Amino acid sequence: MVEILSNFAQLSGIYGIMNSPWGWPTAESIHFLGLSLLIGTVGVFDLRMIGIGNGIAYADLHRLVPIGVTGFFLNVITGTMFLVTAPDQYLFNPAFQTKLLFILIAGINMLWFYASCLAQVRHTDATMSVSHRAKIIGIISLLSWSIIIVCGRLITYFRPPYHWCFWC
Amino acid sequence: MAFVVGINLAVAFRMLGMVPGVATGPLSRFYTLHWYGALVIFLSGIALLIAYPAKALTNPVFYLKFSALSLGLVLAYRVQRILVIQAVPESERRLKWIAAASIPLWIITITSGRFLAYTHSVLLASRFY
Repeated sequence: MVEILSNFAQLSGIYGIMNSPWGWPTAESIHFLGLSLLIGTVGVFDLRMIGIGNGIAYADLHRLVPIGVTGFFLNVITGTMFLVTAPDQYLFNPAFQTKLLFILIAGINMLWFYASCLAQVRHTDATMSVSHRAKIIGIISLLSWSIIIVCGRLITYFRPPYHWCFWC
Repeated sequence: MAFVVGINLAVAFRMLGMVPGVATGPLSRFYTLHWYGALVIFLSGIALLIAYPAKALTNPVFYLKFSALSLGLVLAYRVQRILVIQAVPESERRLKWIAAASIPLWIITITSGRFLAYTHSVLLASRFY
């Protein structure tokens, strides 16, 4: 796996870009900007669902979500660049593994929202509360993204081989 | 930082007309969380500065980040005041200008913050003893 990712980085030119003096910090900046776009749209919508910003129509705020999706794709692209450039530092890193786990949880939570209560939330009056299920989804989403941010920062402090995943 | 930048960007998108249906007045309620986030930025920033003062103070990028962050927070305060106190249509144009100015400031804050780790030439103050 490590070899496949390393070869991809070398052949695609990503390795060269990321090892230039400006490559890594530029990718990190874009990664954080993508995260901010996500928090500023999906996070704000989650906050609205749990009761903050009473009076703002849910449907209107939900129109910001495509900007958050754009931010997420920026994160996926830059995240992939980090991973393929130094795969051994990420694949065996417990902070990275935890981050991926919570990205998966956030993704499943999002699917749960779209499958079960999007229509109900969009049609809820701006002065009314959404259902308990929607609130729980909002809380799970906010917690997941907060943990993802924290794990992202912790990656650099849990680099292998000094720190190793517990099943390795 | 993500919550502070995110909330500012969301408000800026609204002011620039990306989601014209969103009522502007209630947006100010998100600023409570924003200022808690700003407090966390301030406290963690002070801790990092105390831990490695020479690393930050000898790096021009630190001053760029500090300036952009401070100006961004000043603009956020002004936007919040306009949203709360003067939520009238005449403020929309002024808000649009402030929002347009705040977006590059937050991008500079993020970028300079990330470049800080890669641009320092001094790590410990003991180098000067």
